[in-house]
Amino acid sequence: MREITQQELADKVGVTRQTVIAMEQDKYSPSLETAFKVAMVLGVPLEQCFQYVPRGKR
Amino acid sequence: MLTSLSYREKSLYASLVAELVVYGPYFVLHRQNTVNHVAGMIIAIIVLQIILQSAIAAVTRNRVTDERDRLIELRGYRAGYLTLASLMVLGLGLLWFHATEGHLRLDNERAGLHFLSAFFGMLIIADIVKTATQIVGYRTAL
Repeated sequence: MREITQQELADKVGVTRQTVIAMEQDKYSPSLETAFKVAMVLGVPLEQCFQYVPRGKR
Repeated sequence: MLTSLSYREKSLYASLVAELVVYGPYFVLHRQNTVNHVAGMIIAIIVLQIILQSAIAAVTRNRVTDERDRLIELRGYRAGYLTLASLMVLGLGLLWFHATEGHLRLDNERAGLHFLSAFFGMLIIADIVKTATQIVGYRTAL
């Protein structure tokens, strides 16, 4: 995985840094397009960036 | 703390402060219930919003709005609309009740100004609910 700052990731994906923080803190689930962009920028498969965990099991 | 807030979030806080500062005294004190006073209040909120929003735009380099901002904004508008619709139904119901009971004298100038305040108040409450819902949306999980 590429090392990158939150602001750099936000700029490349087209979201705000606060949205990147919200994704990291599991406070926001991005759209499919944004999720794919994040994976592409980080250079990893989508499932390595995002996993689905049902709410009761978090 | 301000640097951790997005441009949109800062803008919302400024809007909320402006609304509370301008509208709060009018509805809490409710001393001068005249058309001129309401017009003055509208001008004051416009001027204050321009000043605050311009200041925030000037100090914020990154003014990008993204999908999360749009989603939170939609939730805010939904809450604001539901609030406005509910208050309107309530207000119209009370108006109808008082009219049919004969409590209402529409030839009274004060009655007209009270209606102005009531319906204006409904708009303001709905707008505050819209803004507050968005602020909460930024602080909690979506």
